[in-house]
Amino acid sequence: MTGFLNIFNHALFWYYLASNLAYLLMLVVALRTTAAHQHRLQSHRLNWIKEAPLAPAITVIAPAHNEERSIRVAVRNLLELDYPQLEVIVVNDGSADRTLEELREEFRLRLVRAIYVPEAQSAQVRGLYRSEIDPKLMVIDKEPGGSKADAVNAGLNSATSPYVCIVDADSILERDGLLRIMLPILDDPDRVVAVGGIIRVLNGSEIEEGHLRRVRLPRKGIEVIQVIEYLRAFLIGREAWSQGNMLMVISGAFGVFRADLVRAVGGYRTSAIGEDFDLVARLHRHLRQQGVAYRIPFVPDPVCWTEAPSDLKSLGRQRARWHKGLLDVLWQSRDMLFKRRYGRIGWLALPYLWLFELIAPVIELGGIVTIILAACMGALSREFFLQFLIFGYAFATIISIGSVLQEEITYKRYNDWQDVVRLVSYCFLEHFPYRQMHMVWRLQGLVQYLRGDNTWKPLKRKGLESAGVR
Amino acid sequence: MWRLGPSGLVVKAIIAAIVADGLMLAFILLRRTYRKRYFARRDARVYELRQIWDALISGQIPYATWRRKAFDRRIVETIALDAFDAAGPEESARLLKFLRTSGLIEKRIFEARHLTGWRRMRSLVALGRTRAPEGIPALAEGLRDSRLETRLAALRGLARTACPQAAEEILAWIGESGLTVPELPLQSALVQCCAERPQLLVPHLKNMQGRLREVLGRVLGEVATPSMGMDLLQFAADDLDELRAAAARALSQSQSRHAPEVLIDLSRDPVWFVRLRAIVSLGELGDLRAIPPLMRGVTDSNRLVRLRAAEALLGLKQDMVPIFEQVVGTHDRYGLHAYLTALDNADLRQTLEAELQVTTRVSEEQRMCLQRVLQAGILDSDARLEPESIAESPVGHR
Repeated sequence: MTGFLNIFNHALFWYYLASNLAYLLMLVVALRTTAAHQHRLQSHRLNWIKEAPLAPAITVIAPAHNEERSIRVAVRNLLELDYPQLEVIVVNDGSADRTLEELREEFRLRLVRAIYVPEAQSAQVRGLYRSEIDPKLMVIDKEPGGSKADAVNAGLNSATSPYVCIVDADSILERDGLLRIMLPILDDPDRVVAVGGIIRVLNGSEIEEGHLRRVRLPRKGIEVIQVIEYLRAFLIGREAWSQGNMLMVISGAFGVFRADLVRAVGGYRTSAIGEDFDLVARLHRHLRQQGVAYRIPFVPDPVCWTEAPSDLKSLGRQRARWHKGLLDVLWQSRDMLFKRRYGRIGWLALPYLWLFELIAPVIELGGIVTIILAACMGALSREFFLQFLIFGYAFATIISIGSVLQEEITYKRYNDWQDVVRLVSYCFLEHFPYRQMHMVWRLQGLVQYLRGDNTWKPLKRKGLESAGVR
Repeated sequence: MWRLGPSGLVVKAIIAAIVADGLMLAFILLRRTYRKRYFARRDARVYELRQIWDALISGQIPYATWRRKAFDRRIVETIALDAFDAAGPEESARLLKFLRTSGLIEKRIFEARHLTGWRRMRSLVALGRTRAPEGIPALAEGLRDSRLETRLAALRGLARTACPQAAEEILAWIGESGLTVPELPLQSALVQCCAERPQLLVPHLKNMQGRLREVLGRVLGEVATPSMGMDLLQFAADDLDELRAAAARALSQSQSRHAPEVLIDLSRDPVWFVRLRAIVSLGELGDLRAIPPLMRGVTDSNRLVRLRAAEALLGLKQDMVPIFEQVVGTHDRYGLHAYLTALDNADLRQTLEAELQVTTRVSEEQRMCLQRVLQAGILDSDARLEPESIAESPVGHR
């Protein structure tokens, strides 16, 4: 038994070290590439692109389910986006509330027979509407499909542009967000097939008429920790992975895709739990099988602000679901592992996700159990245990402060001193007990997936209209 | 079991991690403090310079008083270039005169020629923003830089000047170096610079091959003017799909009497986007000879061609009943769907219903059939018209 504990704890130490070193490497890469991106932006004056006559058209698809409180503001916001050739498709996914009526009243919708080719799987469409006020707007009213994927597919079937941008109807896209996210496509339309933008936490910020007036840090600690998590995931993780063309996730709240390719892979998989991750994985698979040169970059400055869960129950549900989605996609993509044709996706990106994301909570749990066992058996060196804890704490804090640093030297959205002090403080506070709770939620997700429990429960949200009330 | 390594190593790692944490925090703190002071200083200086702005740009205040101070010079240049972006012709001329006489343009030209890397790129962007013709040679040199970002900055700068000299420089450069930048910025730049003299493209289109020729073809499609009539006609029979599509697009602007005939030929092209361009152009020309090819377009195998053909038919400002009758007479469900889509998009359904109520061009039975099709949106056996009735319809004779 002691021998087993010895081996396991050795492995745990090296696993932990490898995981954090990987993140440290990503931090260095991200700092370097973001600086280059900042320089590059200087030659792209956004208003020049706005006037470019040959900029490809784009269709923004916003699925909406029971969004009566915020749909007017959200759609107005989308219609005001800066982009030369824009179409906005709002998909009312069988809302049981007044979402469609709100849209009808606000935008004077009329029923039309627009082109609808059901190439991607979606529930029955009840009607297609166009706005009499703004010809850019189309609304699809459909039977509830039970998933966001189903609703996005309906939008995809009606989209007439070569590019589609998928956004959440309850998120706020910055006015120049589309121009910024399209920059890699405008620079290299042949190879860039999809682009991911950054998602940030809206909670606590001040909103007026659907526009962000002032960015502030949320009040609750649990929300601030999510701010740090988002910064770490996007400004470090995705930035670095995209440098190696190994970006595996484009957030469902904000991403641009080449429409023909999304159709070629059958649109979103309606049974997928993490439909955004699933789509990108299938795009990688499809393009690698075709043997074409392609790029899926991440752009760190087009910002989409979204409301994060503000209570533990909702957050737990969200994280369990994310982890279920991760397992679902990794399981579906298991045949890509260590295959030559899938290149770095099969040899690096997917193994990393298996090793350092998917089974991380299992290993963490194993570590806690073996430490307790070793302590009970009197085999635990208190001195080394303490050192390991301090080292782990300080190392993990480097990554969190690194993400705040990245934010500071690039985009600097939190201008208030008070906000920065709180943000940095939570870099030290997030490790106990939030990290352990996070482990439990992720384990719950794994158990739920293995039990076949894939039901989706809506998260408790305040909605755009109330998000800015401070 | 936990004695897996020298404890001293872990202690060193802890110290390193804590020092790293501390350094990053200190950096954030110092940077914030520095930036706060810098912006406060800058803001105060901008305010001061704004108060004397008119005197400053008219030269009443000697340029030497602010040019020697880099801090002031950057502010003045930024204010001037920002104002330039939004200025009307008169204000632009005043600002350009100021930028010239103060030597700021010459300074940027010098930097664009002698600096390297990001600094050269910044100078090229600033130079482009001035839209000064004397900056064109320096910008053209930037096109030959080994860094893609610098080439793009130079290209965008030339695009801002929007003059034929810049187009000549760009065309000469792609002639010697080929396609060394992404297509879209190149196309955008050429569209802006060739708008005044699209003929500049013609000799290059005749000589170039491959992707470059496609790019130039697309540019031609954007900038062609009626004065290019004969040049355009020769590209309508080109082997390159892109060029035929460009010719089809450009012919919508042509006043040549041959344009409708050429477009009718192109509407039968095997490539869908050539047909699409031809159909759209036929619609824009508004020539009644376009009705048969547009009717054929409504039954095209490509959905976009069908939709655009239907939109073009609605845009002809003809009586809608005979055209609707013909669409129904094609017995093509997809064609009918495209027509009804275009009808709804243009909000003309009620107009057609009203015309159907009062028309005397069709028999009562035919009218009932057409009304049923319009309301149901599908072709049923009752709604089908005999081919003869179409031949007898007024549009059928056109």
